[in-house]
Amino acid sequence: MKRTILIFQLILVVVTGFAAGKGKIEVPLRFDRYYNYEEVTEALNALHKAYPEITRLEVLGKSEEGRDIYALTINNPKTGAELSKPGVYVDGNIHGNEVQAGEVCLYYANMLLTKYGENEKVTKVVDKNVHYIIPVVNVDGRYHFFADAHTPSSSRSIRVPNDDDNDGLFDEDAPDDLDGDGSITQMRIKDPFGQYKADPEDSRVLVRVKPGEQGEYTLLGSEGIDNDNDGKLNEDAEGYLDPNRNWGYDWKPKYVQSGAGNFPLSGVGLKAINEYISGRPNIIIGFAFHNSGGMWLRVPSEKSVTIDPTDVAAYDVIGKEAVKITPGYVYMPSYDLYATYGDFDSHLYYLHGAFSFVGELFKREQETYRENVAKPATTTETTSSSMRGANPELSREQLKFNDNVVQGEQYKEWKSYKHAVYGDVEIGGWVKMSSRLPHPFMLPELVHRNASVVFLAAENTPEISMEVFDKKEIGKNLYQVRVRLQNKKGLPSMTANAVKTKIHQQDMLKVSGGKVIAGGKLTDNRLNKVDFKDKKPEIQFLAVPGYGVVEYQFLIEGKGEVTFNYESLKAKNASASVKL
Amino acid sequence: MYKNLCCILWVLLSAFFVGPLNAQNTLSFDKYHNPGEVQQILKQLQQSNPSQTRLHTLATSPGGEPVTILEIGKNSGDGPAIFVGANFEGNVPLATEGALRLAKMLLDSAHYMARQKWYILALPNPDAAKGYFSGAKYERSVNDFALNNDMDEATNEDGFEDLNGDGLISQMRVKDMTGSYLVSKNDPRIMVRADARKNERGEYKIYTEGNDNDNDGEYNEDGVGGINIGISFPHLFPKSKKEAGLWPGQSPETYAVMKFIYDRPNIAMIHTLGSSNFCLYPPKGGRKGDANLESIKVPARIATQFGIDPNQTFTMNEIVELMKSRVPAGVEVTPALVTSYLGLGAAVNPLDDDLKFYTKFSEDYKKYLKSKNFSIETLEAAADKDGSFELWAYYHLGVPSFSMNLFSAPKIKEEKKGDKSISLDEVEKMSGDEFVALGEEKIAAFLKTNNAPAQFSAKGISEMMKSGRVTPKQMVEMMKKSAKPENGEGLSDGEKSLLAYSDKAWDGKGFVNWQKFNHPTLGEVEIGGFAPYLETTPKAEKIDSLLLVQLPWLLQLSKKLPDISIADQKITDLGAGVYRIELYIENKAYLPYPISIGERNKQPAPLVLVIDGDVEILEGLKRTPVGTIGGNQVKKLEWLVKTDKKPTISVKLESAVFGSVVKQIKIGG
Repeated sequence: MKRTILIFQLILVVVTGFAAGKGKIEVPLRFDRYYNYEEVTEALNALHKAYPEITRLEVLGKSEEGRDIYALTINNPKTGAELSKPGVYVDGNIHGNEVQAGEVCLYYANMLLTKYGENEKVTKVVDKNVHYIIPVVNVDGRYHFFADAHTPSSSRSIRVPNDDDNDGLFDEDAPDDLDGDGSITQMRIKDPFGQYKADPEDSRVLVRVKPGEQGEYTLLGSEGIDNDNDGKLNEDAEGYLDPNRNWGYDWKPKYVQSGAGNFPLSGVGLKAINEYISGRPNIIIGFAFHNSGGMWLRVPSEKSVTIDPTDVAAYDVIGKEAVKITPGYVYMPSYDLYATYGDFDSHLYYLHGAFSFVGELFKREQETYRENVAKPATTTETTSSSMRGANPELSREQLKFNDNVVQGEQYKEWKSYKHAVYGDVEIGGWVKMSSRLPHPFMLPELVHRNASVVFLAAENTPEISMEVFDKKEIGKNLYQVRVRLQNKKGLPSMTANAVKTKIHQQDMLKVSGGKVIAGGKLTDNRLNKVDFKDKKPEIQFLAVPGYGVVEYQFLIEGKGEVTFNYESLKAKNASASVKL
Repeated sequence: MYKNLCCILWVLLSAFFVGPLNAQNTLSFDKYHNPGEVQQILKQLQQSNPSQTRLHTLATSPGGEPVTILEIGKNSGDGPAIFVGANFEGNVPLATEGALRLAKMLLDSAHYMARQKWYILALPNPDAAKGYFSGAKYERSVNDFALNNDMDEATNEDGFEDLNGDGLISQMRVKDMTGSYLVSKNDPRIMVRADARKNERGEYKIYTEGNDNDNDGEYNEDGVGGINIGISFPHLFPKSKKEAGLWPGQSPETYAVMKFIYDRPNIAMIHTLGSSNFCLYPPKGGRKGDANLESIKVPARIATQFGIDPNQTFTMNEIVELMKSRVPAGVEVTPALVTSYLGLGAAVNPLDDDLKFYTKFSEDYKKYLKSKNFSIETLEAAADKDGSFELWAYYHLGVPSFSMNLFSAPKIKEEKKGDKSISLDEVEKMSGDEFVALGEEKIAAFLKTNNAPAQFSAKGISEMMKSGRVTPKQMVEMMKKSAKPENGEGLSDGEKSLLAYSDKAWDGKGFVNWQKFNHPTLGEVEIGGFAPYLETTPKAEKIDSLLLVQLPWLLQLSKKLPDISIADQKITDLGAGVYRIELYIENKAYLPYPISIGERNKQPAPLVLVIDGDVEILEGLKRTPVGTIGGNQVKKLEWLVKTDKKPTISVKLESAVFGSVVKQIKIGG
């Protein structure tokens, strides 16, 4: 008994010791660190505990491995019920390795909550909107990214086994952490006939040899062994099922879109998130955070489709400011990066009628080591490993940054290792927490700037007001009444695409209290042009454009008070009345 | 006490077995069974054959009805399985009867469970299927999923009404100067579109039977439901159609069926009972947008990256080789990766090699039907629909997908004036020379009676045939593809045949004769038109005979499933303890594994040959993918091994589809 207690205490010491190393999780949250899956959960609970009146924390579903997927709702019930307000949806980390996306979500929640009541703009946004925040979509991926050895790019998949190499076995040959340092780095072998040699200025950098030149190294790829003895290394790691190629809109099977699952929404977590969103038709804008590259991507994700110019204009209201809030980022349709099918942002836009952005967080170029950072060091960007050795200057600068700015925390020096198949090799290179993730000292600025873009979008969700601006008696008990709906913000009350494809109920203007003889859209109030509706003039269908005005005219027979009700799924309802 | 207990148990047991057994024996096919009865029958079939069957409940429809699958041959081992799905659109009750009848056939003879098990999905769209048994019939195909079709302020507020109280939803015609329809001069029952070029002006508007309940000027635009399960699958998903849902599998029935099938990689063949008929008419091609994998152009951006000419075309293999040298170590370049990277898109037309077996089997099926005196002089089955189950089964699962519509109305024979003209079917079988030999006069008559496009002249066609630029078969295909043959006064062959069928088989009740009705908003109208379900649903007394003739063909097709084994082995002693092992893998059946589309989409699970034993492999792999193996073909695999002993090694043919077979081989014996 005593022994058990002792062991228990020992475990407690170890666990708390580990957490204590990074600091206790309390509100306001700290952002000079990364949170693993359990810590994200703890952080969400801390936020909810600190602000119970305006937050709700719920588990919306479970992952393939049974982990909880959390959603934090921020809503002030005193200013209205959740579904009555424009919904702002923010998620991150759908790719398990893209962890700072989760920190951006946590930061945004932390910012709204801690500044509520103190900062006027924040208070206004919290009172006007409801926020749905899912910091970690791929909870298994995040869990394993921290818990296991990985490259900066692995643990991206959701945990649905897939036979990547078509040999009848599933996920049987992942990379292996041979040197036990918690990262999957690279392997190289001395080889006079190799295609690479050490850069004379920094021997850690490998450059391609020129034709005819003597080589020094052959690159062997990621750290690992041939677990299934098929003559290939690391060819069938976890998954691969790309959670961002597995949504319903324009889904394609995996021989067309690599990474797709067997059928749309075939992951249990994704299905749960889709149901969560389906139950919140008030969502008018959504952000999904990823890394990396520094991009704000909008739909379409495929070139053969075009979207309505008024929707592009609404996107631009956010996108064109976003690139100023996050210097160096670019704003473009996602097909400019590459075409994708079954991606989340298309699903959100085309099927749920919400403007959707992908935020590709972090540009590695921001990790500078030079006097004049305004001037780019090189003209070409190297992020793809296929281009390895093509740009030694950049590699040298990154290594100097590692050496002198982050004290060697991002790069594993090459060390010799006795490999089961290759014999004497060297293992080294960029570690897991590098390349796509900024060093924690740079994280606070990243999370703040990106959260500010979400904030700008929230500020721009529709704000519709209504007024009766003209009333005239034109006959016995017959009145001509004109009503104006105005949107003071940049996002419309519905996407033009939703109006066109009828994916959800359209906004309505309903008249009650009098008999509506005729009614319709006033297309020119000076020239008295009205587009009268044939049937049921007491209900008009409409959408209010961003920064726009729509006007209606009704001929109403009756006496007393007539009420006009504007009803919208995504914008807040409004009403006005007039006495006849 | 003990005896008593036994006795009670015995009584209970016999009640359990005898009751349901009777039910199975009395199960008859002289009526259409409603969804509740279908579930009852499935339960009875399961309970009377508990050792062979299992009833899976997959999902609950939005209307609260269960979607179930009867597994037959649950103890058939690890072998392949055949999946039979029926009546996805919910408006073909005969298809559901077919599934139940097939289940009974399978259970009546252990024979068909010997090699494979069966999954029978009799009613994937139960909500829609209720439509046939409801008061007012309208060929309902959507489930109870709440869908606001017109996106106004209310849901399901404007459905049909059976205004004349005949139990059928037919049509309303109303005199209207702005209408675009006329009464056919040929048959006053039929309405045809007025053709202004023929100096005609429309006199009628046509509506479906009912009121404008929500007073929005549209009639019956937002009735009950929902999603049509039959068009809600991911291949060519018709996203512009409301009743397909917003995305493939939005409704639980579809999602559950897809999941059920993907959870069972041993499903190696799929049959669909419904409205198309791949058994008789091979799946049609001709869709635009198919990638030609033998002639690929690389997009300019990627071509520059690769240093190749963007105007040049490459084969898939060439591109795979090109990419191999340019990807980082460890990335395997497959045709699938290339397809996705270059954005080549999905296959949308049946692949040539697959059409060969479809055509062969359709010829065999015609002979089979002929031997049963079953006429196929009927209206052609409906075309496969975008988003249908049968297309998904072929294109996404990569397995042979067959379908049957089980009933078509007889086609009336064209009465030819004067000399007998030649039919399309006859010409299709001719050679070019035979066709030319008919002479221009006969050819001209043939072109005219079969409504050939205007640019087809007898002379021109003869010349093209002579030079071999076109074959009679190609010409007939082109003629079939071109506009639906209109006959005389705009009365199609289909309408003519259906009217004749209605007159003959239904005493004319297949057509509701136009009767005056005073409509609340339209004023005087006439209600009439074809009765719903006429085309697909024969009289109940015909059910059993139709099923008994056609369904056995599906059992025949099950014999075509690949049958793969290790046929032979050869061990050669090369000296110094080195041996060459040759294994011969044989497919004794007609169909290859996988079929061509399966080879392309890589969905069917691989066959792998696993060597295990006390040998060092010098050449070859411990686990060797067998790749594609053709029907009636043998494939040789080779290894070079070294051993100092004379071990017995095991070779295992491993497959998630066919199960595994192990053979022991003595090396150096």
